[in-house]
Amino acid sequence: MDSALVIFEGANLTRLLGGLLVSLRIAFLAVLFSLVGGVLFGILMNSKNTVVKVLCRVFLESVRIIPQLVWLFIFYFEMTKVFHIHIDAEVASIIVFSLWGTAEMGDLVRGAISSLPQHQRESGFALGLTKIQLYHYVILPQAVRRLLPPAINLVTRMIKTTSLVVLIGVIEVLKIGQQVIEISIFSAPNAAFWVYGFIFFLYFIVCWPVSLMAKWLENYWASKGV
Amino acid sequence: MVSDKVLLEVKHLQKSFGDKTIFKDLSLTVRQGEVIVLVGPSGCGKSTFLRCLNGLEDYEHGEVFLDGKAIPGEQKSWYQVRQKIGMVFQSYDLFPHMTVLDNILLGPLKVQKRTKEEVLQQAQNLLERVGLWDRRNDYPSQLSGGQKQRIAIVRALCMNPEIMLFDEVTASLDPEMVREVLDVMLELAKAGMTMIIVTHEMNFAKAVADRVIFLDDGGIVEENTAEQFFTTPKTERAKKFLDIFNFKE
Amino acid sequence: MKNFVKTLAFLMMAIFSVFVLSGCGGSKQANSPEDIKKTGKIKIAVFSDKIPFGYVDKNGNNRGYDVYFARRIAKDLLGDEKKVEFVLVEAAARTEVLEADKVDLVLANFTVTKERAERVDFCLPYMKCMLGVVSKNGTIKNVSQLKGKKLIVNKGTTAEIYFTKNHPEIELLKYDQNTEAFQALKDGRGVALAHDNTEVFAWANRNAGYKCGIESLGSLDAIAPAVKKGNKSLQQWINDEIVNLAKEKFFHKAFDAELKQDFGAVAPDSVVVEGGKI
Repeated sequence: MDSALVIFEGANLTRLLGGLLVSLRIAFLAVLFSLVGGVLFGILMNSKNTVVKVLCRVFLESVRIIPQLVWLFIFYFEMTKVFHIHIDAEVASIIVFSLWGTAEMGDLVRGAISSLPQHQRESGFALGLTKIQLYHYVILPQAVRRLLPPAINLVTRMIKTTSLVVLIGVIEVLKIGQQVIEISIFSAPNAAFWVYGFIFFLYFIVCWPVSLMAKWLENYWASKGV
Repeated sequence: MVSDKVLLEVKHLQKSFGDKTIFKDLSLTVRQGEVIVLVGPSGCGKSTFLRCLNGLEDYEHGEVFLDGKAIPGEQKSWYQVRQKIGMVFQSYDLFPHMTVLDNILLGPLKVQKRTKEEVLQQAQNLLERVGLWDRRNDYPSQLSGGQKQRIAIVRALCMNPEIMLFDEVTASLDPEMVREVLDVMLELAKAGMTMIIVTHEMNFAKAVADRVIFLDDGGIVEENTAEQFFTTPKTERAKKFLDIFNFKE
Repeated sequence: MKNFVKTLAFLMMAIFSVFVLSGCGGSKQANSPEDIKKTGKIKIAVFSDKIPFGYVDKNGNNRGYDVYFARRIAKDLLGDEKKVEFVLVEAAARTEVLEADKVDLVLANFTVTKERAERVDFCLPYMKCMLGVVSKNGTIKNVSQLKGKKLIVNKGTTAEIYFTKNHPEIELLKYDQNTEAFQALKDGRGVALAHDNTEVFAWANRNAGYKCGIESLGSLDAIAPAVKKGNKSLQQWINDEIVNLAKEKFFHKAFDAELKQDFGAVAPDSVVVEGGKI
């Protein structure tokens, strides 16, 4: 039990929470950009233009096939080596996670849009809606309901995957946890258990409200029969 | 009821899907207040013809005139024209995420930019006429098929269209609900609305139509008054077609 | 809609090309000591969780043998030991941070190897790593005592390679994990355990009754600061610094300050290198 106290020694607690803030800042901004980018990308993917389609496919597959870690290295190290652009590690992380999120979210949006019956578009057009109005009032609101469960899944995956950013030197919650464990090796041999447990708890209280909100929205929409 | 003024004129319309020609050289004149019923075997192009009239389908040749003005074939101009042409489909019409009232208000408010008070007043009048004002805050999933189709008609009417197109609006309804929808259409016809109706309800067609057009093999086979078409059709093909509906032992 | 799609596609391409093109201008040289003096700050990559070489203490301060040296470099180059910016790295990114100009110097327990020397320039070593053998009460004092007995090693480590090659007469007991291997020693499944001496020093210090009978053995790994490939002026400055610091036995002081508490009563010379002379 004494090992648990490691969390509260010195500045450890504030450092862990500070690390969590870094994780959340990256995740939150990346999710925000992914939502906006994903919707636009999803609409693009539904385009009938073959060139646009192929470009979208190439983007999606390259983001998927190349591991996020490699993307982090590309944006943080290779960009500097090849183009001499210095991108701050945290900014690079946000860019990479946004690209990843945009690609994945875009594919979800594409799926949700194409799963809507054709008649929905046609009755929208028959009312004189323009294409943009159609997406705004008819297609996207319905697509959002369909893609909520997989999108929430993606968001929590993004939050958890932020721990990768340590490899380009961003010190987030998991890394601080490892630092705390390392210095406690003599004084508290079981520190790892408690520190990881505490970090698990932190991730949980972040992801839990997201799932709760998703569940609430689903029930809310279900009560409307959508 | 039917005036002399020509509202809609279709000249030499041609449409094909790939190699398959749906119709070639189809012409039709619709006068204000006229109710035209299109009949014909499945796949004869009735629905496709209606969809060409409000730009949901492209066509290769021909021209469409509304109020004497040619509608250019480009997509952009259709947004304008569609406000004047109301259309009701077979099913899946209403937007499931909006209440009845929001479904009805969407077009008038967002497309026509009319004021909410005015549209609301009109929506109330129309909904009361079809007996569904008390269901205005319901979602489509809470309504029966017949109720949904009546709402879809109200939604189209609320745009103040000059002409209404009905594409087999009762085809996917349970039999006991067909009547309530047809009654609404009949009442509309009496009120002088110009309508083009595609239907398989022959008794209804007889009751509502000023003119019946029998389409087959990519063209108009027979054009006749409702009375004559159903009692003494001019063509053999029309006779054969009508026989299908007359159940004889 | 077609126009909308085209505009969007165009916009994405435009953003991308601006992003790429904006970078295509001028190439940057690595910072010389003069450049560093101008900016008034040296960036040094250190570990943040490798006690006792580079770690962060409970108050969030960088500590360790590498950090101790890093602060001294800042003091001698810039006149203030606070004028160092620590960039925390993972082992896998140590060459990358130099190649991408993220830091001026890497001081992160960086073992000199041929492969690495092709991508970075190593300075003179300031530490060395050899094998150590720990046993109960330190009874095993030379390799000949191990003949016919069981020696515990970790799979894939230098220790395993060394004993397989040079002392086939000693029976090896191999484990995957550090913790397993040390536990096996405690359980008495082998008479001794061989590992990097820095590892066994720290472990013996923490476990009463165990001592390092053999403190340095086998091939020697040099641990040295590294600069970006081609940064000769900084490499030279660091080398001079290391040579100069030998006069005051600086690395022995560093040992006392940072390693002693962890390693206990081992001879500093089994790890510390002064003046770059191994």
